[in-house]
Amino acid sequence: MRIKGLIFLAIITALGFLISWISIDPIVESEIEYQASIANGALVEIDGFDIDLIDLKIRWDRLQVANPENTMSNSFETGEMELDFLFWPTWWERVIVEDIIFKDFKMDTERETDGYFEIPEDEKNAEPSFVAQVIGDMTSEISRNANMEFTNIKTNINVDSLMSKLNLQAPDKIDSLRNGLSRNYQKWDSTFANTKINKEIADIEKTINAIDVKKIKDPKKAIEAIKNVQKLAKQVDSLKTRAQNLKNDFQEDFGDSKFSVGRIDNWIQADFQRAMNMAKLPTIDPGNIAQSLFGENLLADYSGYLEYVAIARKYGSRLVGEDKDKIERYEGKDYKFSDKYDWPKLWIQNIDLSGETKTAIQLAGQITNISSDQKKTKEPIRFDLGGKGDSNRSMTLTGEFNYLGDEPRETINFTYDGFGLKGTKISPSELLPYPLKTGTGEVSATVSIIDKRFDSEIGYKAKGIAFDFGQNPSKDRIQQLIRDAVSSTDQINVTALVDNLDGPLKVKVRSNVDDLFVNALKSTVSKEVDRARQKIESRVRSEIGNRKEQLLAFKNEKEAEIRKEYERLENRVNEEIKKVEEKKEELEKKKKELEDSLKNNIKDRIGIDW
Amino acid sequence: MFLILKYVAKLLKALSSEASPNQLAGGFILGMIIGLTPVLSVHNLIILILIIILKVNIGMAILAFLIFSGIAYLADPLFHSFGIWILENDGLQDTWTSMYNNELWAITKFYNTVVIGSFISALVLCVPMFPLTKVGVVQYRKHIHEKVMKTKFAKALKGTKLYSVYQTVARVRG
Repeated sequence: MRIKGLIFLAIITALGFLISWISIDPIVESEIEYQASIANGALVEIDGFDIDLIDLKIRWDRLQVANPENTMSNSFETGEMELDFLFWPTWWERVIVEDIIFKDFKMDTERETDGYFEIPEDEKNAEPSFVAQVIGDMTSEISRNANMEFTNIKTNINVDSLMSKLNLQAPDKIDSLRNGLSRNYQKWDSTFANTKINKEIADIEKTINAIDVKKIKDPKKAIEAIKNVQKLAKQVDSLKTRAQNLKNDFQEDFGDSKFSVGRIDNWIQADFQRAMNMAKLPTIDPGNIAQSLFGENLLADYSGYLEYVAIARKYGSRLVGEDKDKIERYEGKDYKFSDKYDWPKLWIQNIDLSGETKTAIQLAGQITNISSDQKKTKEPIRFDLGGKGDSNRSMTLTGEFNYLGDEPRETINFTYDGFGLKGTKISPSELLPYPLKTGTGEVSATVSIIDKRFDSEIGYKAKGIAFDFGQNPSKDRIQQLIRDAVSSTDQINVTALVDNLDGPLKVKVRSNVDDLFVNALKSTVSKEVDRARQKIESRVRSEIGNRKEQLLAFKNEKEAEIRKEYERLENRVNEEIKKVEEKKEELEKKKKELEDSLKNNIKDRIGIDW
Repeated sequence: MFLILKYVAKLLKALSSEASPNQLAGGFILGMIIGLTPVLSVHNLIILILIIILKVNIGMAILAFLIFSGIAYLADPLFHSFGIWILENDGLQDTWTSMYNNELWAITKFYNTVVIGSFISALVLCVPMFPLTKVGVVQYRKHIHEKVMKTKFAKALKGTKLYSVYQTVARVRG
C-alpha cells in the first residue's frame, strides 16, 4: 500500500468537492435561466438558487418569468421553492423530480428591471408554429372590426384619397396571373410546334404508301409485309398514347384545380373589403355587431393565453424521440435489458402550486407529469388549478397536453365566475359607451386542438346588469335607440366560436343583444352605409376595370387554339391508325389469295386435296 | 513535461533494478486495462485508484496505457463485435438482466458493446501479459538495459536540467 497515494487521493477528492461546491450553483442557474428565457421569449430569472448535492435538493428564493408582450411586468412569479431530485437518474444525465411545492405564486406582477431577452438567431428563424398561426389569424380577425364607426358614418367619402392610400392588389394579381397563363400557352404552342409526332406520322404514311399490295406475288413477301405493318401499328398506338398524355398534361395545366374564376373574385372582394375597412364602414349584421362590441375584449386575452399552448407544443414536439441509437467509433451500442432506465431527460412528476392571482383569488392546484418525452413517461401533462376570492368569485383551470399519440392534442377548460362589473364598461365600442351600475360576470373557455384542427368556444355572461346612462345622456338618435334597447336588458350572453374545422380559421361572435343593435342601426345609418358602400364598390370595380373579363376571354381563346391543335393531331393519328388497319387487312387478304392459289397449283399437280 | 520526464526516468530506473518485476508487471497490466477500455468508465476510476494506492509502477502503467490506447483504437470494431456476442449470449441473459436492474452494476455501463468487449478482452489478456512482462523485465535487465542507457536518448535525458533537478529532489526526499 502506498500511503502517499492514499493521501493524494484524499486531497483530489476534497478538491473536487470544493470546486463543485463553489461553481455548480451559478453554472446550473445560468443554464436554466438561459433555456427558460428562450422558451418564454423574455427573461426568466432565479434568485437565491442553490443545489445541495449531498441531500439532492434544489431550492430558490424567487422565480420571475417576464411577460414577452410587456417586459416591464412578469407573466408570473413564485416565492420560495424546494424540490428533491432522484439520485440514480443523474448518472444517466436525467433529472427526475417527484414533487415540487411552489408557494406565493402570483400573476401579472410589476418588474423592477426590464425583462427583455435577445433570442438567439437560430431560435428566431424557426418557422411559426401552427398555434402561432392561429393566434395571428385570430388577431387580424379581431382587429378587422375593432375600428368600425357605427354612429359616425362618413357620407361624403373622398374616394380618390381613399384609393390612393389603398393600393389595390387585385389588378396586379390578375396581370400576374395573365402573364403566367401567357407563358404557359407559349410553352404549349411550342410543344405542339416541336412535337415529333407529326414527323413520325409522315414517316409511317410514307412506309404504308410504299407497300404496293398488287405487286406482291409471293406469300412469303406478304407475310413479311404484314409483319412490317404490325410494327407500324404498334408505332401508331404509341403515338396515340403520347398524344393522349399531351392532352392529360394540358388539362392538368389548365384545369379548374389551377385556375378558378372564384380566385379572381376573392381578390376583388378582398380589395373592396380593405377599402371598406379603411373608410371604417361597417357591415351591419349581427355577426359584425357582436364582434365589434365584444370580440376585442373577449379574444385579445384569449390569444395571449394560447401563446402558452404554442410553447408547450413547441417543446413537446421538439423533444419527442430525444434518444437516437448511435453507433460511433469507440462508443459502441448500448443494450437494454429492461425499461428501468428509460427516463426522459426531464420529468417533473408533480407540482403543488399555491398563490394569488392579480384579482386576489387564492389559487391552488396541481400540475403533473411535465416531461421532455411523454412517450417515455406514458403520461400527458395535466393541470388542475382552482380557487376562490371574496364575494363568491371563483376560478378553475383544467386541461391536458397530450403528446403520446401521433397527433399532438391539447384540451383546456377555464372558468372565471362572480367578478364584479360595477363601474366597468363591457365593451370598448362606441356603440356601448356606458358603464354598469351593477352586475357580475362569468367567463368560460374550452379549447381543443388536435394536430392542426382547432376548435374552441369562449363564453361571456354579464348577469344582473344595469347601465348607467349618466345625468345628461346624448341626444343622438342612434344612442337613444340603443339606450332604449339595452335599458331593459339585465343579462348579456356572448359566445365566440373559433375553429378551423372546415378550412381557414373562422371567428364567430354572437350575443343576445346583436339584434337590438342591428335594428337600431338599420333604422338610422343603414342607408348612409349602403350609399358609401356603393360609391366605394363602383370605384373599386372601375379601377379593376374589365381585367377579369379580358383575362377570361384571353384564356378561352388560347385554350380553344391549343385544343384545336390537339384535335388536329389526334385526327391525324386516328387517320393513320385507320390507314394502317386497312393496309393490314389488304395484306391479309392478299396473303390468303396467294396461299389459296398456291394450294390449287399443288392440288392440280399432285392430285391431292389439301 | 516535468511529470513525463519524471516518470520516464523513474521507469528507466525501475527497469534497471529498483522495482520488483511483479510491481512492473502489475503496473503494466493495470495500464493495459485502462488503455484497452473506454477511458471515461467507472471501472477505470477503480483501476486508477488501484494504481495510486498499490505499489505498482506508475511509469509502467503510463507506458502500457499509451501503447494499448493505440491498439484499442484499431481493435475497437472487434471489441464491438465481441461485446455483441457476449451481450446476446442466451445463457447470460438472466445475469445481464439482473445486473442491469442493479444501479451499481448499471453505472459501469457493462451493457455497452465496446465497454464489455474491451474489458473482458483486457482481463483475458492479463493472464498471459503478467508473466510475460515479468520475464520481459528480467530479460531486459540482463541483455538490453546497458544498451539502452548508452543510447543518445538516455544520455540526452540524463543531460537535461530537469533530470538533474529531479535527481536532486529525489535525493532530498529520500
